[in-house]
Amino acid sequence: MEEKMNTSASMNRDHTADERARDKHAPDDHALDEKELLNQSDPQSELLIEAKNISKIYGKGDDATVKALDDVSLEIERGEFIAIMGASGSGKSTLMNILGCLDRPTRGSLFLDGQEVSTLNDEELAAIRNKKIGFVFQTFHLLARTNALENVELPLLYSDRSHITELAREALKSVGLSDRMYHLPNELSGGQQQRVAIARALVNDPEIVFADEPTGNLDSRSSLEIMLLLQKLHKEERTIVLVTHEEDIARYAGRIIQVADGKIVRDTMNSEPVQPEPGGNK
Amino acid sequence: MKTGRLIKIAFTGLGRNRMRSFLMMIGVVIGITALTMVVAAALGAQERIVDRVKQFGYETLMVRAGGDLTMGTHTGGGEVITLKIEDAQAIKRDIDSVIEVAPFNRIGREDAVYSNRSVQTPLFGVPPEWSTVWNWNVIRGDFISRNDMERMARVCVIGPTVQQELFGEDDPLGEIIRVGNVPFEVIGVMEPRGISAGGGDMDNRVFIPLSTFKRRVANVDHIYGIRILLGSDQDADQAVTDITALLRERHRLALGVTDDFSIRSAEEVQAMVEGMLGTFNLFLILVAGISLIAGGVVVANIMLISVNERRREIGLRKAVGARSRDITVQFLFEAMAVTFTGGVMGMILGGVGSALLETLAQTPTTVSWEIVMVGVVFSILVGILAGLQPARRAAVLQPVDSLKS
Repeated sequence: MEEKMNTSASMNRDHTADERARDKHAPDDHALDEKELLNQSDPQSELLIEAKNISKIYGKGDDATVKALDDVSLEIERGEFIAIMGASGSGKSTLMNILGCLDRPTRGSLFLDGQEVSTLNDEELAAIRNKKIGFVFQTFHLLARTNALENVELPLLYSDRSHITELAREALKSVGLSDRMYHLPNELSGGQQQRVAIARALVNDPEIVFADEPTGNLDSRSSLEIMLLLQKLHKEERTIVLVTHEEDIARYAGRIIQVADGKIVRDTMNSEPVQPEPGGNK
Repeated sequence: MKTGRLIKIAFTGLGRNRMRSFLMMIGVVIGITALTMVVAAALGAQERIVDRVKQFGYETLMVRAGGDLTMGTHTGGGEVITLKIEDAQAIKRDIDSVIEVAPFNRIGREDAVYSNRSVQTPLFGVPPEWSTVWNWNVIRGDFISRNDMERMARVCVIGPTVQQELFGEDDPLGEIIRVGNVPFEVIGVMEPRGISAGGGDMDNRVFIPLSTFKRRVANVDHIYGIRILLGSDQDADQAVTDITALLRERHRLALGVTDDFSIRSAEEVQAMVEGMLGTFNLFLILVAGISLIAGGVVVANIMLISVNERRREIGLRKAVGARSRDITVQFLFEAMAVTFTGGVMGMILGGVGSALLETLAQTPTTVSWEIVMVGVVFSILVGILAGLQPARRAAVLQPVDSLKS
């Protein structure tokens, strides 16, 4: 990603699909019926997410409506590490849910990897989530009575991939849990559980990882572990969107977006993200 | 998405919630057990009916005095005196398909006494032909002879039950028993015949010559019925029509007057007994069906509760790429796996229960492939019906809503 730009504006914004360069991704094993969907996207494009004038309104009728998001536009480039900050109720989680295709905007359009996703039906959205997006939640959301390996396998069960156990093993190895594969969630510490969840988010090799308050339920030492892990992923050229209300956590990111009352009130580059390890620059 | 994976998801889900799976299963197990046993008993009864009708004989007819009979009882009440021995003789003489006739009379219950023992038994007055038309012989001594008939002898032939009750292991031949206070010499013992089509014990009977019955016991001319043996390959329906016409003429019944007799063939006996048992079986199957429905409701209920309990699981599965369809199929498979497993267990228990029923309660049962198929089909059906609503409920949950906890 040597051509990465440091502003949110992308020069590639006006490219048509034809102009986009050939796929230089390693050949993947997506099924045929997914090919068409995926060919519309362009992995080389710098712009990964483009949200245009997105609003999310809850309730119906003039009096009862709540604007969780109010005409928000946002661009996220490939390889960015972004922190979305805001107080509770500011709309930051709603924004993340919409960007992560877990929820639909009431108005506005959303492009992911060059493809408009705001018009897709539930089934197509499920496929997008499965292939392109990884989620990490505050409360881990691991299946109880299910060991770490099987938890990590879960997204693969809904994909067409084979050798799912090997892929899950590798993902667990990459988060440093090779020795905990057959442990149940209640036999793992909070930090370990969150690492299992991160392995699960990574196992499908997604374009982007969304982490919603990933350290919210962890002590400071485990929080540090998780943030180091996210930085490591970032260095491996993954796009990461972190939602948090903690300044300390947000400072690990390279770009900080402040949300209040359903609007983006500040969008700043963090030229000096917290660097626990030298050379972790972007 | 591979179906095999969905099945795996469903089964591992069930395995991780053994208590819930067990509770869901128990209702189905009970329902299928009941159904299996009821069907086994019904099939067993069916086979017994066929046996009984064989006892009646497929090439025989029974003419009974009085019309409108239900299970051998005159619904009109009172004694019917229209049927005579001459009617029997006319039938044998005039109807070609008839080989032999045996007119008889009877008293429904009489005390048979020997020394200090007694037994209540039907008393039959029969001719020597009785043995022929029933294809029923003595195992000891002799049956009633033409000579016995002519001299109105005070002799009797007893059934094995009567022998057992009155004589135990002793030899009854030549002994005198009193039936209705009239002394008879025992000249023979009938071979065991079992239960009649009407449900009576055919072995608990005392037979005396019809002439003796007429003059020394009942002192009446009319008879209770005529047992008729047809030639083999004769059309029983045609014979019934012919005999009806003959008897109506002999009894001078005007057009429009109902018959003062009734004729029954083996088919009718079978239909009658089956009709009676059929009602009972229908009732039992209804009961078993209701318990199966109750089992299905339990499954549906627990599934619905578990949909609520598992909102987060469903939300997570959707977040990582499960489509609504995958969730629906998962829940349907779970319900079907539970009911199918419950069904198999129910059939095993039902088989064991049927065997116990046979040995302990002497109820004939027949466990067969039909039962297994009924059990499998019903349990899967219950699974689909019970799983449908919870599955749909689970599938429509939005991932963002169900992840909130």
